Amino acid sequence: MATTRRQFLELVGGAAALATARLDTAPAFAQATPVRMGVLTIKSGIGAQVGEAGLRSAQWTTDRINKAGGILGRKLELVVEEESTPKDTVERFRKLALQNKVDVITGVISTGVSLAIGPVAEELKMLWISWDGTTQKGVEETMPNPRYSFRSTDNECEAVMASIVVAKNWKGKFKTVAGINPDYSYGRDNWQAFLWIMEKYGNPVTPVSDLWPKLGTTDFTAHVAALQQAKPDLIFSSHWAGDASVLMKQAHAAGLVGNTKFVFVVAGGVHETLKKSFTPEGMFLGYNTIYFDYADASPLQKQFVKEYNDRYKEWPVFECERAYLVTSAYKAAVEKAAKAIGGKWPTTDQVIDALEGLELESLGGKARYRKDHIPECNFYGGFTTYKNRFDFVTIDPVVKMTGPEVQKPSGVGLKDWIQSWKV
Amino acid sequence: MTGRVVLGLVVLGVAAAPLLGHQYYTTLMLPFFGYSLAVLGLNLLFGYTGLLSFGGALFVALGAYTAAYLTSVFGVLAFEGIVLAAAVVGFLVAIPVGLLCVRYVRIYFGMLTLAFGMLFYSFLFKFYHLTGGDEGLRVLRPRLFGLAFESLDKVQFLTGPFYYYSLALMVVGTAVMWRIARSPFGLCLRSIRENPGKAEYVGVSVRRYRFYAFLIAGVFGAVGGTLLAVPTGLADPLLAYWPHSGTLVFMMLLGGFSNFFGPILGAFVFIFLQDQVMSLTQYWRFVFGLILAIVVIFVPRGLMGFLDPRQRAGV
Amino acid sequence: MVAAGLQLVFGVQKIVNLACGSFYALGAYFGVTVVTRALAAGLPPPLFLVVLIAGGLALAAIGPIVERVLRPVYDRDESFQIILTFALVLMFEDITRFIWGSSPYQMGNVYLVYGQWKIGRLTVPVYNLIVIAAGGLIALGMGFVLSRTRFGRIVRATAENREMSEALGVDMRRIYARVFTLGTALGTVGGALVIPATAVTLDVAVEVIVEAFAVVVISGLGSMRGTFVGALLVGVLKAVAIAAYPELELLVIYVIVIAVLVLRPAGLFARAAA
Repeated sequence: MATTRRQFLELVGGAAALATARLDTAPAFAQATPVRMGVLTIKSGIGAQVGEAGLRSAQWTTDRINKAGGILGRKLELVVEEESTPKDTVERFRKLALQNKVDVITGVISTGVSLAIGPVAEELKMLWISWDGTTQKGVEETMPNPRYSFRSTDNECEAVMASIVVAKNWKGKFKTVAGINPDYSYGRDNWQAFLWIMEKYGNPVTPVSDLWPKLGTTDFTAHVAALQQAKPDLIFSSHWAGDASVLMKQAHAAGLVGNTKFVFVVAGGVHETLKKSFTPEGMFLGYNTIYFDYADASPLQKQFVKEYNDRYKEWPVFECERAYLVTSAYKAAVEKAAKAIGGKWPTTDQVIDALEGLELESLGGKARYRKDHIPECNFYGGFTTYKNRFDFVTIDPVVKMTGPEVQKPSGVGLKDWIQSWKV
Repeated sequence: MTGRVVLGLVVLGVAAAPLLGHQYYTTLMLPFFGYSLAVLGLNLLFGYTGLLSFGGALFVALGAYTAAYLTSVFGVLAFEGIVLAAAVVGFLVAIPVGLLCVRYVRIYFGMLTLAFGMLFYSFLFKFYHLTGGDEGLRVLRPRLFGLAFESLDKVQFLTGPFYYYSLALMVVGTAVMWRIARSPFGLCLRSIRENPGKAEYVGVSVRRYRFYAFLIAGVFGAVGGTLLAVPTGLADPLLAYWPHSGTLVFMMLLGGFSNFFGPILGAFVFIFLQDQVMSLTQYWRFVFGLILAIVVIFVPRGLMGFLDPRQRAGV
Repeated sequence: MVAAGLQLVFGVQKIVNLACGSFYALGAYFGVTVVTRALAAGLPPPLFLVVLIAGGLALAAIGPIVERVLRPVYDRDESFQIILTFALVLMFEDITRFIWGSSPYQMGNVYLVYGQWKIGRLTVPVYNLIVIAAGGLIALGMGFVLSRTRFGRIVRATAENREMSEALGVDMRRIYARVFTLGTALGTVGGALVIPATAVTLDVAVEVIVEAFAVVVISGLGSMRGTFVGALLVGVLKAVAIAAYPELELLVIYVIVIAVLVLRPAGLFARAAA
């Protein structure tokens, strides 16, 4: 009996709290059933920071949407599950689709997991809009014509941007290169893109070492030692999670930082852990699709950055931008589709048709979903500097490149596309 | 007689499950079929022979990758062929591994099996040109008795024809294991568990019988692996990672290792419990660790031991 | 070389404790928290090592608690002991998740507080040398305790023949508790020592076990002296593999474990009775 009394009290307390809630909160959704969006995000392991950032952004975006009336008057609700191994994530995807019966599934960050999810989304006819996962194997696309899967930008975009900037700024200044990349599709794509682009820009390089630590390695001593042996002019890395800063720390400790140029293609994702004490200036640092301190940022981005920092005492990273893009794109697509059919709630097929070709303003600037279900976004990066008010490095000046500049068009192989450039 | 009746009812109940319409829970039964076979094999080693293997995941992964290779690389879609191939692969791999491992007992056996499992994991991970690395290899939809069931989408396939096929395979496997356990061979195994010295004295070749048990466990593990791989559609290296072996051991302990049906019950309870607990809290590992600890300390004979009064007396 | 700090865990315990990896991880997490707080409170950076070690030692207080949990299964088959420690691994992971969250933890800036030394062409952070030295010191210390002190003699006697020791009046429970706590301390301090150089995540506990196992097997269960050398061996071989044959990086350890188990099952340094 004690439990039911306690439950009753909780109910009363809850009702009282609700009644005294501020009146300017979201408008009444009592009439319509909520729209449910499944979210699969990394919750543990080396990518947990990135996964959590994305989730925070998704919640911020959802709150914002709901404050403005939801999607077509229906409240947006997130159903969050964990992205872990491919097998387990597939099971959770299936659960979200069959058991929770969500309207759309978003999230998924790792390419390894996305490769498994893509076919499942198609089989279940479940609309899936990935935050950051692609379905590439190597630089090849494995699903050229999906119907229900919307992937993220190609793996090698970050590397393409980094390579172009580096080729332009450091041309002729380095001959030998070493690559240390995480051992999976993403790492391999980035390294390959870099090599091809250096060749294209007439700056032939000799790879003296390429290392492939498992994603999530926290001990790079042996790798750093191998790098020391190889003595490269430039070190290229596409580590994107906590391991990037550990690598930097250990490389610095081993004295690699003095004469070697560094290119960290996407370590902007953990930028706050790249402390000035061990991260050099003049290193290329990629931030993927959003740079938190961008002077020319849109009011939307500035508002997001401020609110995020106020709440979490951290600065947002690229996963935040991805989550915002996906959540907002879904809303925009639903609204666009509904308009075409007189305001009713559209079917999944109609939403898909509306999403193809959709343009919208994301945190990082204008973005667009191509017909092949891959988005175009802006990418940011630059050379590091210590001139800032933080204890970690930032970049100055900030280089921004648009989607079409760093991403190969639909149906074109990466190598062919690079060869076709005019430099 | 009541035992048989209960068994029959259970099988009927399981067979009727897809008709209840809960698609998701029906798909959850599929790993149950696979894990049942794998854990039955594991228990032959532990409950009957007294050897605790921490390498069960090795064979499950072998089965899954066999299915992946045959369907996506060689285009062989006949599931009968896939199951047979997995059994053969499991058998062949179990020979050298078993020969090495059964020379040792207890801790060393456990550690060696764990090492072999991790060896396979590393191989799967690093040699990505062959194995797809951490992205794994796709397992395409197989043909059952030559039929492709094209009109059914994947979920209907999984909750329909494939469900019954897996169920049948599991029943057949269980029956085979039953015969093995009840045979003179099974008796010998049990004598080895009780007292290896005496068994040897009486003429039972301890090492040879352990080896046979290992082979059988390997085959069962691999076949279980194929049943797991089809619903996921993917074979990935983490199937061979040692905590996965730990999960198999968990299922075995949970269900009860001293009863024949313990492993099956353990697999069932684990899968559904995990599903429910995971939805309730993100700290499900703690809950499960706690459950395992309680089982080991207080109910070492597992659920079956708890339910079966004959065994409750005497730990 | 960093692995040396890792591997001291197993030397003392007679039970195969899968949760030792969890102790290591806990030591690392706790170390980060303690040092970060201390530095923020104004501790001069060079003293962080003291705080770090102190933190690791303090955390070893969970040792006796865990030991009490393991007590009911001492008399049972070893298999149950291992399984119970596996249960602990699961529980510790979520306890860690609960206290520290899921994101990786790193220590910001103190790694290079002691500077670096140039040895030939190599630059080595002095901190790394300190860790190696600490590992060596602890190994020597353990050796001393086990061979020279009364406590050490009792421990060894118990390991050899439990019933006899009990008959001779040794209080089993206290000895076990102490031994276990010592083992725990080695784990937590090991984790704490290593953390300034790297990061710790929830996966670390599970990964460390495998390497720790490998070292123990290679050097021989129960041999303290061997553990130190074994750890070095593993570390060196891994480095060689990474530099020369990257594909073999992960495989090398297991191949060695299997080779040792097959050729010299008692390990390279163990005494005759296995």
